[in-house]
Amino acid sequence: MLSLLIWMPVLGAVLLTVWPSKLSAVRLRQIAFIIMAVVLGWTAVVGYAFTSSDASLQLREELPWLEGLGLSYRLSVDGLSFPLLVLNSLLTWLALHATEAKIQRPRLYYALILLLNAAVSGAFVAENLLLFFLFYELELIPLYLLISIWGGPRRGYAATKFLIYTAVSGVLLLGAFLGITWLGGMASFDYQPLLTQTIPVVQQCWLLGALLIGFGIKIPLVPFHTWLPDAHVEAGTPVSMLLAGVLLKLGTYGLIRYGMVLLPQGWETLAPWLATWAVITTLYGALMAIAQTDMKRMVAFSSIAHMGYILLACAAATPLSLLGAIFQMVSHGLISALLFALVGVVYQKTGTRNIEVLRGLLNPERGLPIIGSMMVLGVMASAGIPGMVGFISEFLVFRGSFPIFPLQTLLSIIGTGLTAVYFLLLVNRVFFGRLSPQVTDLPPVTWGDRFPGLILTGLIVLFGLQPAWMLNWSQATTTVLAAPLIRQPLITQATPVISPSSPL
Amino acid sequence: MLQFLLETSWWIPCYGLVGAVLTLPWSIGLIQRTGPRPAAYLNLLMTCLALVHGAIVLRGVWHQDPQVILLHWFQAADLDFSLALTISPVSVGAMEAVTGLSLLAQFYALGYMEKDWALARFFALMGIFEAAISGLAVSDSLFLSYALLEILTLSTYLLVGFWYAQPLVVTAARDAFLTKRIGDLLLLMGVITLSTMAGSLNFPDLYAWADTAELSASTSLLLGLSLIAGPIGKCAQFPLHLWLDEAMEGPNPASILRNSVVVAAGAYILIKMQPILALSPGALTVLIVIGSVTAVGASLVAIAQIDIKRALSHSTSAYLGLVFMAVGLQWTDVALLLLLTHSIAKALMFMSIGSVILTTNNQNLTEMGGLWSRMPATTIAFAVGSLGLVGLLPLGGFWAMYQAIYSFWFGQPILVTIVLLVNGLTIINLLRVFRLTFLGQLQPKTRRSPEVAWPMAVPMVSLTVVALLMPLILHNFSLLPDWSYTNKIIVVLLLVSGLIGSAIGVTLPLNRGWSRTIYKPLRLAQDVLAYDFYVDRLYRLTVVAGINGLSRCSAWFDRYIVDGLVNLAGLSSILSGEVLKYSISGQSQSYILAIFLAAGVLGLLLTWSIW
Amino acid sequence: MTSTWKPLNSPAADDYIQRLTAGGVLLPDTPINLLEVVGILKSYGVVLGAYAENLCFIADDQFLELFPFFKYFNGKFSWPKLLRHWWHDRINFEYAEYCMRTMMWHGGGGLDAYLNTPAFAQLAEQAIQAKLKHNPLMQGLHRLFPDFLPEQIRQSAYYSTLGQFWHVMNEIFISLSDRYDGGEVTSIPQVVKHILSGLVAAASQPITYTVRIGGKDYEILPAAAGLTFLADAAVPYVEAVFFRGTPFLGVVSYNAQAQQISPDQANFAYGALYADPLPVGSAGIPPTLLMQDMRHFLPEYLHDFYRQGKRGEDDLRVRICQSFQKSMFCVTNAAVVGLAPYPLNTTEPQQQAANQKYLQAWVGRMLTSQLPTVQE
Repeated sequence: MLSLLIWMPVLGAVLLTVWPSKLSAVRLRQIAFIIMAVVLGWTAVVGYAFTSSDASLQLREELPWLEGLGLSYRLSVDGLSFPLLVLNSLLTWLALHATEAKIQRPRLYYALILLLNAAVSGAFVAENLLLFFLFYELELIPLYLLISIWGGPRRGYAATKFLIYTAVSGVLLLGAFLGITWLGGMASFDYQPLLTQTIPVVQQCWLLGALLIGFGIKIPLVPFHTWLPDAHVEAGTPVSMLLAGVLLKLGTYGLIRYGMVLLPQGWETLAPWLATWAVITTLYGALMAIAQTDMKRMVAFSSIAHMGYILLACAAATPLSLLGAIFQMVSHGLISALLFALVGVVYQKTGTRNIEVLRGLLNPERGLPIIGSMMVLGVMASAGIPGMVGFISEFLVFRGSFPIFPLQTLLSIIGTGLTAVYFLLLVNRVFFGRLSPQVTDLPPVTWGDRFPGLILTGLIVLFGLQPAWMLNWSQATTTVLAAPLIRQPLITQATPVISPSSPL
Repeated sequence: MLQFLLETSWWIPCYGLVGAVLTLPWSIGLIQRTGPRPAAYLNLLMTCLALVHGAIVLRGVWHQDPQVILLHWFQAADLDFSLALTISPVSVGAMEAVTGLSLLAQFYALGYMEKDWALARFFALMGIFEAAISGLAVSDSLFLSYALLEILTLSTYLLVGFWYAQPLVVTAARDAFLTKRIGDLLLLMGVITLSTMAGSLNFPDLYAWADTAELSASTSLLLGLSLIAGPIGKCAQFPLHLWLDEAMEGPNPASILRNSVVVAAGAYILIKMQPILALSPGALTVLIVIGSVTAVGASLVAIAQIDIKRALSHSTSAYLGLVFMAVGLQWTDVALLLLLTHSIAKALMFMSIGSVILTTNNQNLTEMGGLWSRMPATTIAFAVGSLGLVGLLPLGGFWAMYQAIYSFWFGQPILVTIVLLVNGLTIINLLRVFRLTFLGQLQPKTRRSPEVAWPMAVPMVSLTVVALLMPLILHNFSLLPDWSYTNKIIVVLLLVSGLIGSAIGVTLPLNRGWSRTIYKPLRLAQDVLAYDFYVDRLYRLTVVAGINGLSRCSAWFDRYIVDGLVNLAGLSSILSGEVLKYSISGQSQSYILAIFLAAGVLGLLLTWSIW
Repeated sequence: MTSTWKPLNSPAADDYIQRLTAGGVLLPDTPINLLEVVGILKSYGVVLGAYAENLCFIADDQFLELFPFFKYFNGKFSWPKLLRHWWHDRINFEYAEYCMRTMMWHGGGGLDAYLNTPAFAQLAEQAIQAKLKHNPLMQGLHRLFPDFLPEQIRQSAYYSTLGQFWHVMNEIFISLSDRYDGGEVTSIPQVVKHILSGLVAAASQPITYTVRIGGKDYEILPAAAGLTFLADAAVPYVEAVFFRGTPFLGVVSYNAQAQQISPDQANFAYGALYADPLPVGSAGIPPTLLMQDMRHFLPEYLHDFYRQGKRGEDDLRVRICQSFQKSMFCVTNAAVVGLAPYPLNTTEPQQQAANQKYLQAWVGRMLTSQLPTVQE
């Protein structure tokens, strides 16, 4: 069942490459779009088979592979990985739609996007440390190529920087994984047995340190973040959507699954530092975003800031904060994908992303009014205004983390204030005012251009109003994930008062 | 049927929201060939439904104990997100007042905005406004109230930014959002703290918790300060008061609501939180100080304004300052009375000046004059609104001020003085505005000024009648003191302060043409007041410059230290030089090389793991 | 016409003046301009006809009505029409009223002066007494606020005047379009000439206004007041609507402290010739209503021309506005030529000097308008 999520896109990629007759770029896009629609549909089937009340790893598949290496093909899914799987399929589907119709070398391009999707899905469902690592590294190749071939003028620099950073990340991860297995006294890299390991705290901390830097590059956490803005600026719109929407989540996902769960004592020891690190990342990212003039760079730094909330929630590791962390991963995935998609449309139509040049794009006749309206909604969601997903996730994160790390939580709240500052600057400069003379004659915007934005906007509002529809997938899992960690709240938490039910 | 309407009373705030959603086909431009007015009519219809529904519910709950409605929203881990509503005569009455004012303001907008093609968007925003504020009125949970306050912040931003192509609107919308957001975030800190400490965010639970809670003085002070920060922003109190002045760039029908019920919404939350604030005497003191400073300061600033909307908006801040003082002294019923009378009177005055602005194409007081005989409805509305606001004739404002003084009477002589001072200063200001606008000679911009058409006149006259009937309404709600028990000294004091104000207001020399006095100290004072004590410049030099500087520093740091030193940028550049060459060549070898490179790294790592 | 603009000495101004004295036109004579101007004047003519009819109806039949609920129905009420009205599937008569109010507010011309005379006050009082015969409440109000109803009657007079003015313009524009369709008009100078001759023909047409109350006629603007088409309707209209206008809330701040709006109405430059066409369609831009009305009556050739643009139908109203401004420069051009103290091709040096001074005043004002833009 889960295998299909990996192999269908791979097959699709192969199909696209070897298809005998000559196909136009538009036709190739349609085919890729249909393939991804099938994958998305299959994700829904997986969702149907998934039991949300079951906290354990489900829908397991097992094939022996290189047993000598400790590598086995074990797949499974739980409440932590399932929402991310859905996010991956959905965003890839939308990213395909957001691709320019007349892209160069379409066959390779669409094949790579599908491969990327497969590798990310693989990483999310892998139940073997080495298998996860394989997928984690595999995902890097298509992404590297996507940036270095279809990127902007400095694509070579950005792609190489990305490659080097991620390679370092890989080395650290591999080292940590080896360490966990050996020190845990296991013969294989399988995930389940490792849950019972008894590595001493000091060694746990060292291993965790390696994992933190490894995943910290991917998330990215300050100061390992500088590859991200460059990669975003050079990457095309669809790649940026995937990069921010899904790929960064590999880092936070890995941190929870392999760091927090496998090394709980080490995690407890380092948690206060992590929370502080989260605050630094949040505030630093937000301050950096204020200084940007390139819309895409601004959204990229905003991404970094918002990933800080996830780290904060992970550090606190209460059931509520972990639920918030997962929700924040999804909501950040939706919101940042939306923002990148919209910035992409603006760039495509106006030829610039400079907020000092663009003005008045809300103009209903000559501007991009609907794109602009969605942008307003997107930035408000990002700033945590109620009615949209950002509010729920931030509230859960803050409320969940506050009892453990009150000071860090309060400082992070300042981060949301700064979010409002830079995004308001962006919206006010780019969309308000009179249309700037450089952009008075823009090409028309079709409903096709708006499609990814509309879908994402709809989801952002839908889950903002009905968070239960998404939270319920993860509730059981987060409770179990948080169980082994002993948290000592700094703020004594009152037992919830049971409100008198209405006699009405 | 009645039972059904009672049970579904949670639906009343949703009407506005439904109306807002219904405008979408027009507001996003799906319907191009015909005009946007149907969207306006749909919103009016929805508001009417809300009003009727509310009226029935109000009759149903009259003289009954408050009922609580719990709407389960979702459950996250051990935290239950239920939206609690309280259905009591006070809350439903407040909701009715909001809906009624919203109906009048929307009706008024039909006339005021008739030439505006973005009517649908305007009404959508008004719908959201109405939904959020009437939701606040019945909310029984701090969580819900906080969420609604945030939505109010957003819709204020969008409403102030309605004319988004106008440069001053752009900055006004930004400042309104950011200022309110500062308050909201501090409030969020308080909400999260409370939620953790008390375990629930429903007001009854919080009150129960506050009764027994034992907090250190500093904790309770910080908690109290963060809780009052939200209302400070919403009610435009010092030091978060500048946005209201700027928000006057927005359309006038929205200003009607903003100056009456939106600011009141913030104070309403404050009243709801009062038992929690009572945990900290320090926070209450801060409340009183902020209220007093704003009341006196804003009253003075209002007198120096030459813009007709701003002359009134600063007085809004001043009255909300009185409300803050009342809450600080824990006289919540006085606070509610002040809010109610102020809302009606201020809404009426804003309707009146709206028709002046529309007719004369002008907001500058120094270019007005002589309108009274040409615009009877407008003139009467302004006069009645003013009298309903101040303590001179026994209309609403008089009794609200009487009650305020009555409750401060023992032990708070300073606050009594402040109320009397505000009364006097407000009368001076309103008389000044009235004389400049309606009396005197006709000016070039006012010489042709026919009274406004019925869509604006009808709501104005209706509200005039309501304002005149205010004492009767208060009497019916048993909010008036029995005449035989009224404190005659207070009545006399109030009248004296009013009369002194009137005397000064009538004799005050008026400068048409914004001429500044030649006496240097006086001119300085005039400028300081006209420019609102230069607080905006202070902010620009401190907060704004601070954040700017910090972000610039971090950008420099990021570029030259983090990227250059800590990380591997140099290596990337060196390697990319090679790769770049191949990529540009466009030959497939380059991709193979690239793939080879990546695969090589991967292979190296994998094989390394085997050894 | 008074102007506070000082005669300018700029090369651009001299160029325009030379063009005008040589019998040329302000708008470059190109086939595209011709197509746009004639096409837009055709649809403008249709819209003006509807506006004019409605303005006259309101002036005549809704005289001193406090609740003119059906003032846009021209007295022809039917349920389907009401539903269409509610669906906003109609001409935006609000724009006509906006122009009327702008004209009234700025004043100027003989009408404005007449409305301040005792003669008018007396006529108005008679009409008021007739109207309020059975309404003691309103009589009381009239006594308390003696200027309230006369001011309303002044407004009615402007309703009627603008209606009469637009009737004439409607005929001029429609006949222009007919002549263009018939191949008679083939250049911009001919367009200007057509408008000019239309204005000249109607120049001395009297402007009068009489209302019927209780079966009896009451004169408001009697023939004896001597108000005529050109001097008392056309010229104040051009001044108020083409040149001065009112600041649009969507682009100008009314904040007194910001001082964006001049205290002197003569310095206003917000009229049709000055307005920036780009924000048309946005919030707070009243001319959007006119552009919206005109889109329904575009001749097919013009609509086709717009469809070929980069944005097709998306920016229709902005393009209509751009064409409209071009056409309004033709109308202004005709008015300038028509009002010149001496024929522009005179050879008398003294007359030439007077003409020069006259043209400098006009062109000087237009230099800051959209005139340079439409030259491209």
